[in-house]
Amino acid sequence: MNTTTTEAAAPAVAERTPQLMLVEGNEAAALGVALARPDMVAVYPITPQTSLVEKLAKLIADGSMDADIVDAEGEHSVLSVLQGSALAGGRTYTATCGPGLAFMFEPYFRTSGMRLPMVMTIVTRDGITPQSVWGGHQDAMTVREAGWIQLYCETVQEVLDTTVMAFRLAEHHDVMLPVNVCLDGNYLSYGASRVEMPDQAEVDDFMGRKDVNWHVALDPLRPMAVDPLTGGSGGTGPETFVRYRRGQCAGMKNALRVITELHEDWARRFGDSHRFAPLVEEYRLDDAEYAIMTLGSMTGAAKDAVDEARAAGEKVGLIKIKTFSPFPVEALKHALRDVRALGVVDRSVNFRWNCGPMFQETLGVLYRLGRQVPAQSFIGGLAGADLTVATFHRVIAETRALLERPADDEPVWLNAKD
Amino acid sequence: MGQAYSTIAFDPAKCDGCGKCMTACASVKFDSTDTTRSLIQIVRSGGARIEPPRPGEFELALCRQCADPKCVTVCPAGALGKNGATGVIDWDASKCVDCLLCTIGCTYAGIALDEHSGRVSKCDTCEGKPACVPACPTGALRHVTTARIYNEVGSWEDLFAPGLAGCQGCNTELLMRHALRRVGPDTVLATPPGCVPGMGSVGFNGTTGTKVPVFHPLLTNTAAMLAGVKRQYERVGRKVTAMAIAGDGGASDVGFQSLSGAAERGERILFMVVDNEGYMNTGMQRSSCTPYGAWTSTTPVGEHTRGKSQDAKNLPMIMINHRCEYVATASTAYMEDLYEKLDKALAASERGFAYLHVYSPCTTGWRFQSALNIEVARKAVESNFVTLWEYTPESGLHFTRPVDKPLPVTDYLEAMGRFRHLSPEQVEHIQKKVTENLRFVRKIAEQADEQ
Repeated sequence: MNTTTTEAAAPAVAERTPQLMLVEGNEAAALGVALARPDMVAVYPITPQTSLVEKLAKLIADGSMDADIVDAEGEHSVLSVLQGSALAGGRTYTATCGPGLAFMFEPYFRTSGMRLPMVMTIVTRDGITPQSVWGGHQDAMTVREAGWIQLYCETVQEVLDTTVMAFRLAEHHDVMLPVNVCLDGNYLSYGASRVEMPDQAEVDDFMGRKDVNWHVALDPLRPMAVDPLTGGSGGTGPETFVRYRRGQCAGMKNALRVITELHEDWARRFGDSHRFAPLVEEYRLDDAEYAIMTLGSMTGAAKDAVDEARAAGEKVGLIKIKTFSPFPVEALKHALRDVRALGVVDRSVNFRWNCGPMFQETLGVLYRLGRQVPAQSFIGGLAGADLTVATFHRVIAETRALLERPADDEPVWLNAKD
Repeated sequence: MGQAYSTIAFDPAKCDGCGKCMTACASVKFDSTDTTRSLIQIVRSGGARIEPPRPGEFELALCRQCADPKCVTVCPAGALGKNGATGVIDWDASKCVDCLLCTIGCTYAGIALDEHSGRVSKCDTCEGKPACVPACPTGALRHVTTARIYNEVGSWEDLFAPGLAGCQGCNTELLMRHALRRVGPDTVLATPPGCVPGMGSVGFNGTTGTKVPVFHPLLTNTAAMLAGVKRQYERVGRKVTAMAIAGDGGASDVGFQSLSGAAERGERILFMVVDNEGYMNTGMQRSSCTPYGAWTSTTPVGEHTRGKSQDAKNLPMIMINHRCEYVATASTAYMEDLYEKLDKALAASERGFAYLHVYSPCTTGWRFQSALNIEVARKAVESNFVTLWEYTPESGLHFTRPVDKPLPVTDYLEAMGRFRHLSPEQVEHIQKKVTENLRFVRKIAEQADEQ
């Protein structure tokens, strides 16, 4: 036998052929979770998240994912089980939305306070009531003061990739915070799309060593009292509480840097089809006179509208927010530096300011930038309503009008009967 | 630390002078029917002359196995001595010179001349299993073996720091220390908001009262958090006990969903509820375990309301219907019973959900003197206001301290201030519910007996 010939027939380095799949957003999230190898998954089904946890249950049942799964009796316990597991050193995951997120709010707020690295997908759903089972960002937006990192995805591929990256982000020693990967209910959850599966071995290398409870643990080998009372007006109470709170804010601030680094590392390992803007995407913005801002899956239709407007000679660009929490102030300042009019499309409501939440946050960035830019809040896509290319042509036209006149204090309600 | 010993206790109020203890003793010790040979002697009090004799008129002549035995002191031959291992005063027949000085030295008539043998005789407690006690039909004689707890548990490490800030006379602190000593250091302890962390078990600003890993769960999620802890250790192959010491409010009210879910899933947790019948740590508010008629700060006594107007939720019975691996009720007044159940619950918690419901009176919230805590706890059991039992899926429910002749419930109610305002109708309602509850639990116990 001529061994030399055999060796010559094989390539020196195996060509990595990416595995291509057609999957829905919920399935992509589940596949991303499997790649990250969590110890424990706790679930409670809720529309439109259900197919995601069904997929996880099947992966575990088939043995293609080695994790413990807890079918808890409700979302409140789902998150609580995961907190216990994390405190004992487990890598943990769950997914929920809307009423489920509302029900788990008590442990939800606490997860960031205990600095527990954890990943939770929010398959975003509008707030009830009015009763609805459809998509919208109201659930995730409503909990934005709870100290979780929130990353919004535009495409199914971004859902898969961001889900894996979220685990490493959460466990990064400079961050140590829980992460929500937000994917739009209906439009991403059930929207099928082509994705490239990252290679498991390469993902393992990317993830590195699991490091969940080095800082806070329930472990008889390292006895400690977890979350004793702090605060009050005497002794070291107030300063202890403040130290914890400042630590959370520092972790948030650090996350902006770490998210950027992780996205770079990820794209370097897996290629350009896995490259996503980590904080803020600037789309055709270089010479734009005015811009529209988007979040999540609506961005696809918005980009098409921008392309068409550009073809028609409009100097319009697009700003997509990926990292909503921590709010990417510096990146957004960069994007907004030359824009002379701005239209911000929100898929949820800020009841206090009578506008969209992202719009209201962006006003703060403009203040930091020291610029008075006419800006208009658009609210659309509530409760599953479609935001089409035509919708964005309207947004572009109304934003363009701000080049000539001041903005209206009232939001523009898209999908509304005027 | 010194050694403690088991003892035979006598309650004259319960003794009717039947003499069955003497028959048993004479039979076991001398194979005789002659009760004058019995080493235990029940004698009628000197002043009582009305026939027939009534309970309370009898006294006991029996060796007390004294710690400072006068019989030993007066013995010139060294024939009597205190056995350090058993606590019994041993009599050595080979050394005895039959001088009978010991019979004069003992004020309890615990050692006497046996005319059949011509020598002294005394109780040796039948090697720790006295025959007289089970022969007693009225419960006047009890073999008190609590010393075992003192001797064994006393040598185990107290896993709480000294100086927990419980109210004066609080049994819960005692209960916590006992329970953790038994469960041991390889434990993760959850103490949801309430009296237990209120004492400082989790701690405040950098100090902690507990030597094992301890945490505040939310009031609502104790069982779920522990389930996560336990499962993670099982996943990595480490044996760690996941234990909760929770209040009745957190278990029966807002934390019930989490408790029920974990029990249904058979999470391997030891869940101990300290039932003081309300939210006592925050100033005595009503919980669903608060009994009918009780004053609390949210069921006050006024012109329109007279304490709580609903009956208590029977949480341990509800837990039975979760098919838990082990469910038991216990009382701080019956530590031996508690220890036996703790042992079983701990073992069961390695196989499934173990639930232990301990009744623990609250001196502050129930309004009685702190020195009376054990007495109040005991009266609750003796009046059948609470019942002590255990349940396993295999053998069903069994009473562990059945009360055949219960005290009237008024004996219990009058022991504390929270029931001071009760009308006769309210007392009647409570007595009726006590009877109903007992009938209900008995029915389940009978089902188990039929199996």
